[in-house]
Amino acid sequence: MLLHGLSVCMEWDNLLACAGGVILGTLVGVLPGIGTVGAIALLLPFSYGMDTTSSLIMFTGIYFGSKYGGSTTSVLMNLPGETSSVVTCLDGYAMAQKGRAGAALAISAIGSFVAGTFGIIGLMVFAPPLAQVAIEFGPPEYLALALTGLMILTKFTCNSIGKAILMIAIGSAVGTVGLDSLSGASRFTFGSLELDRGIDLSLLAMGIFGIGELLTVMASYREPVKIPKIRLRDLYPNKEERRRSTMPIVRGSVLGFIVGLLPGASATISTFLSYALEKKVSRNPKEFGHGAIEGVAGPESANNSSVLATMIPLLSLGLPFCGATAILLSGFMIHGVTPGPTLITEYPDLFWGLIASMYVGNFMLLLVNLPAVGLFVQLLKTPMSILMPIVIVLTLTGTYAINNSAFDIIIVLICGLIGFFLNRAGYEPTPLIIGIVLGPEIEQRVIQSLVICDGNIWTIVSRPISAPLFIICGLVCLYMIVSFIRQKNNKRKKIYSFDD
Amino acid sequence: MPFKKSFAVLMCVVFAVMLGGCNFLIKTEPKETKIEYPTRPITMIVPFAPGGNIELKLRAMEKVIHKYLGQPIVIVSKPGGGGFIGWTELASSEPDGYTLGASSTEMLLQQYYGESKYHFPTALDPIAQFTESPSILLVSTDQPWKTLDELIQYGKQHPGELKSGHGGVGSNSHILSATFANLCGIQMEHVPFRGGSETTAALLGNHVQFIFSSPPLAKEQIRAGKLRVLAITGEKHLTDPVFADAPTFKELGIDLIHSDWNGIVAPKPLPPEVKEKLVTAFRQAIQDPEYKQNMESMGVEPVYLDSDESLDRWVKDIKRLKKMITETGVLEQVRAQRK
Repeated sequence: MLLHGLSVCMEWDNLLACAGGVILGTLVGVLPGIGTVGAIALLLPFSYGMDTTSSLIMFTGIYFGSKYGGSTTSVLMNLPGETSSVVTCLDGYAMAQKGRAGAALAISAIGSFVAGTFGIIGLMVFAPPLAQVAIEFGPPEYLALALTGLMILTKFTCNSIGKAILMIAIGSAVGTVGLDSLSGASRFTFGSLELDRGIDLSLLAMGIFGIGELLTVMASYREPVKIPKIRLRDLYPNKEERRRSTMPIVRGSVLGFIVGLLPGASATISTFLSYALEKKVSRNPKEFGHGAIEGVAGPESANNSSVLATMIPLLSLGLPFCGATAILLSGFMIHGVTPGPTLITEYPDLFWGLIASMYVGNFMLLLVNLPAVGLFVQLLKTPMSILMPIVIVLTLTGTYAINNSAFDIIIVLICGLIGFFLNRAGYEPTPLIIGIVLGPEIEQRVIQSLVICDGNIWTIVSRPISAPLFIICGLVCLYMIVSFIRQKNNKRKKIYSFDD
Repeated sequence: MPFKKSFAVLMCVVFAVMLGGCNFLIKTEPKETKIEYPTRPITMIVPFAPGGNIELKLRAMEKVIHKYLGQPIVIVSKPGGGGFIGWTELASSEPDGYTLGASSTEMLLQQYYGESKYHFPTALDPIAQFTESPSILLVSTDQPWKTLDELIQYGKQHPGELKSGHGGVGSNSHILSATFANLCGIQMEHVPFRGGSETTAALLGNHVQFIFSSPPLAKEQIRAGKLRVLAITGEKHLTDPVFADAPTFKELGIDLIHSDWNGIVAPKPLPPEVKEKLVTAFRQAIQDPEYKQNMESMGVEPVYLDSDESLDRWVKDIKRLKKMITETGVLEQVRAQRK
């Protein structure tokens, strides 16, 4: 059946649509601000004249292609091109400053390819049963997952637990800004209509990381860190780097695929979780944040396989669980195809053609992205003082394009200032983003769980699927408390030994 | 000095972008000449996030409208505040016919839900209504209820046990499920979700027992035998064979009648010629066979109303909706939240 799909995909116009889609997707990923949703919405009218299969192949190509390009600006200038590449800034940018930008980009392209292929196989083989699993998870189960995730991420994405908790708390508060879609309450809006819409995650990410970094560079009296000259031989990852990235790519692929089945900003969450996992299993976690290749390989793989997992509820249930799949659903329906349980049997050509196009597209992406690494690294030769302003204008233009709102530009600039001060004060901005993503999610799930379980907390934690999840959650919590006390004790012992 | 250099480059780029924004083709036309309309593409504001239900219907319109209007429409998404932000912007834009917007039932409720600068039903001028779609009451086929009566009996015997999912406090699905509970005297709980997809997923996973949804969203699940329609809120049966057997609430003796509609609105006051041109063009587009076929494949019935008929409809709906939200306490709930 896949062979049949390949024959559909190999038709001239479909192949062209696939290539066009993935290249556009890469561009969407590279350009900060312009997201998948905006790009597909913009292209919908152009697809009316196209054949159904080709246009769907193109849209899907844009969707998974965007996760390839997202890392580019993260690595080169600490400016995430997509929210799912925020975490790549941490080590990718540090690697770039050590002259290993090429290696970081190449590894992220290779990781994306491996994870993408893994994701497609998962999608092809397990779609219907996995969709069933996703449905079995109700609000209490998601609550348990989100809580566990929050605790793990607090510990592993930054060095000081106290600061991390503070930032997560602030992040959760920022996440509640706007008209709450559940209750209709408008919170922290000070009567401003624009704030009713809430603060878009991508705006925050661009502001805090990208513009914040620009301000930091501008404010430092010294020239930005000299980037060592890169010889062609050093452009691609060396043996050591390849060895160190293999397992993170594998782990990232699996993790991303599982997390991708959850509703919400799952691609972004998967990258954070993958980063935390790599830091946990690493033999020298101290290196993270200072250019550890594992911190690029894991997350960049995770976001690609998670994207393919988000296609599962879309294709086998017809239910989009995030913004990008919602617009993809529009793309399907405007061409008269409604995805659902009967999609595979009713439109075999389309379904298998689409799956085959993903394999082909994924391969094309690798072919496009690996040589592009050299090109992008050349960009770094441009002095930062010229490169940065150009990128900032591009970013702000992209910002405006998200909601066609000038107010959003102000938000990005304010976030930039915040990012600058956080940087100065030695706070890591990552937990802030985690708070914004997970805080509202937890709030929503608590409300829903309480109504579903008649306000009885015991019912929430004792449902057949939620019970084991909450037990895991409790264990993680216990582990964290124990390790925290241990650390404190160790410190005290050290002090005493000095006294002796 | 990196700062100075950066600043200089920044200014250069800003200037370049602004240059790009200049329109060198602007001509000053004498005012007395007869208005030629439309001479450039028309912006269509959709006050919801991209990928939504209304946008989808407008996309089908976008495919055909240029045949009748001579110019394409450009769909721009301005989400936020349950449509509030987009409609406010529409009401405050120039009434020259180059900015139009999509309307929906929610537009009529805004005046009750919170303070606003504009009273949308009087600040906006209806051009046409292009679809109308009832809501459907869905249960999972895992549940024993085959008819609405069985569901109601179960609800009465087990007070507080039934849970319905809805797409946010004050949304149409919330109003409908609260009205349903009210009319049948069932004591039950309403669980808020973010939008229709999450609600449907919760129903499929048996986390809630029933939902009110729109036909296109549920069609595939019904065909696959996962969901069952117990009743529809329309005046008459739907023509789509998937839903044709479903009885209306009215037939079952419950006075629950409601249809969500979508239309095109413009800021007031439009020049009469412009309005006439728009009304004609949209009427023709809605009767276009390609458009009709597109809508039907999505499970939506194109129902056309002209400008005056739309206005009558609004007046009637405002009365009916206001009664529904006050009697069920939804209004009180929303107001309490927005304080």
